[in-house]
Amino acid sequence: MKAARTAYPIRWRVMDALEAVAGILWPRFFRAGTPYLMLAPAILLVGLLVLGLWQMADASFRTLDTNTFLLSEDYSLANYKRAVTESLFITVAGRSLVGSIIVTVLTLVISFPYAYVMVRTPSATLRKFLLIALFLPFFIGQVVRAYGWLIILGNQGMVNEAFGLIGIAPMRLLYNYPAVLFGLVQYMMPFAVLMLAPALTAIPEEIEAAAGSLGADWVRTFRHVVLPMARPGFVGAGLVVLTLSLTDFAIPAMLGGGSQDFIANAIYDQFFRTSDQGLGATLALLLVAVGSLLVGLVFTLFGAGTLAMGRVKA
Amino acid sequence: MNGPKFPLNDLTRRRLLQGAAALGGAAGLSTLGVSRAFAQEPEKPAELIVRAWGGSWVDSLKAGVSDPFTKATGIAIRHDLTEDNEIQPKVWAAVAQKRVPPIHINWDTTTNATKSALRGVTEDLSDLPNLKNTTDLSKPVGLDGYPIVNTYGYVYVLAYRPEAFPNGAPKSWKDLLDPKFKGRIALYNDGIGFHFPAQVAGGGKLEDIPGNMQPAWDFVAKMKEQSPLLGEDPDFTTWFQKGEIDAACTISTNAREARKAGLDIKWVVPEEGAKYDTDGLWIPKGLPENELYWAKQYIDFAISKDAQQVWLDGLGLPGVVPGLTPPADLVGDPSYPTTEEEFKHLIRISAKVQVENESEWFSKFKAIMQG
Repeated sequence: MKAARTAYPIRWRVMDALEAVAGILWPRFFRAGTPYLMLAPAILLVGLLVLGLWQMADASFRTLDTNTFLLSEDYSLANYKRAVTESLFITVAGRSLVGSIIVTVLTLVISFPYAYVMVRTPSATLRKFLLIALFLPFFIGQVVRAYGWLIILGNQGMVNEAFGLIGIAPMRLLYNYPAVLFGLVQYMMPFAVLMLAPALTAIPEEIEAAAGSLGADWVRTFRHVVLPMARPGFVGAGLVVLTLSLTDFAIPAMLGGGSQDFIANAIYDQFFRTSDQGLGATLALLLVAVGSLLVGLVFTLFGAGTLAMGRVKA
Repeated sequence: MNGPKFPLNDLTRRRLLQGAAALGGAAGLSTLGVSRAFAQEPEKPAELIVRAWGGSWVDSLKAGVSDPFTKATGIAIRHDLTEDNEIQPKVWAAVAQKRVPPIHINWDTTTNATKSALRGVTEDLSDLPNLKNTTDLSKPVGLDGYPIVNTYGYVYVLAYRPEAFPNGAPKSWKDLLDPKFKGRIALYNDGIGFHFPAQVAGGGKLEDIPGNMQPAWDFVAKMKEQSPLLGEDPDFTTWFQKGEIDAACTISTNAREARKAGLDIKWVVPEEGAKYDTDGLWIPKGLPENELYWAKQYIDFAISKDAQQVWLDGLGLPGVVPGLTPPADLVGDPSYPTTEEEFKHLIRISAKVQVENESEWFSKFKAIMQG
């Protein structure tokens, strides 16, 4: 008996029992459905999102009655008409779109060297330092980071104080469009580096060495070898930065001085300031539509980049 | 100043229940509004949640109303500092879904509160005993009964740094159009407080509101050229403190707060006038009966003279109970109007007109400022 117990340990018995339970809960003939079961969390997540969007879509066709502050019972396109004809929304939408494109380009330009050095440096110390510097901002919320810029760039902030030491009068560095773009670039940079780094890691160093041995200087190597091979990283990082910038709320609100709103700020105003949930829902849906179109366009033109997890060729 | 007195402090629940008649006659009991109901005093909740504005606003409420109320009743008061605009949809949704609302009492602008009243989510407060001791200001205009109780008035003054006005205090809102103030002015980000004086400064008439406000928008457009900063209450104090601005259209409380912090800040009501408005307290529908009862007691106490004196001393604002003593630093101040003459310089537009048109005014102001 002892020998038999040794040959069939207790943990095996436990596993057998668990397997039997699993067999009852998920019989063998259900196995074909196992992959679909794995999809359940995603379906649940997307389902909730769709449910919310459906409710917003319903609200978007109803107008606010300021006698009762209830949405109308009947449907109309009035909110959509307002959204695409009123100068406020056109201005804010234009500013958001242009701003997010500028932020995307600047962030990619700045993030690439950072990611490249982080991946290629032979110094473990430098790599650790760059990694810590990369992750540190994630522990600090967006609002706190924006507030940090208020302290640094304010009229009595560190930068203006430094200007004062060399005789330059204090100047307004905050509460304008460049300040918003600057804040967004700083906020987005870690996201971009994180998306670029895997793509750069996937480029074998030997290829760069081979280009050099064939007579290419570093500029040519960079232009004809590294950049093309890093394209999946650029696409992935660009998509993440573009969508996050387009929908950002806190940075325009805090660094824009109230006059540099993005679409998210306009949506907030409708939901929370004027109590017009119908118009707020309309703007939100239009933002989702524009964002989705942009992402779809990038997917079509350049593929999904690193977001495809290596499954689709860029 | 003496603190509020609470005869209830010395009374146990048992003694209270001994007889409503004896209690009804007790001096000062009516200040808590409980004399009518002791015989069936409902169970006390562990706490009441009062939505409030932060900073000196909540500090004043705590000192004048919440702490004394807790002392008298044993009910803790939790202050929820969610912005008034943000709590509104949550309360509306709770009432629509027949859930218990997330707060017991909303300290709100009268305009916002009026929206909630029109939507039918507010409890009627007509039966508060202390209402009989208040001025007409406590009654919301254009609404039946008391879905809101206004608790004080306030003025959107022109606050300024005297250093930036070496020739003396500004006399007109137009003084802010001086090029030297470019980028040095602050307004509320929806223009609240500025629409009406802008109407006058732009050459229009108050009687034309809301029919023709083009003069106001023309003046706002001129102000836009000055690249004003646009923010909320806390921003104004911060901007003054950080030297970002020289002048602002803001509630006098914010300017006073900056002055308390040691800044050299003064304020005026310019010749065109300044907007006068009110804030109030209201209770959302859907509370359990006992919680509704005690929430009403809280509001009733808030409009007692003792509570108003301490609360509004902190805010530096005139209340709705006659005979309050103004804070020493605000005696004769235009932001603390007490006489008919002082009220003549202030602009008061009914909450109903504001509610019906506010969305359009905000959009118009934003369209100009975001352009």
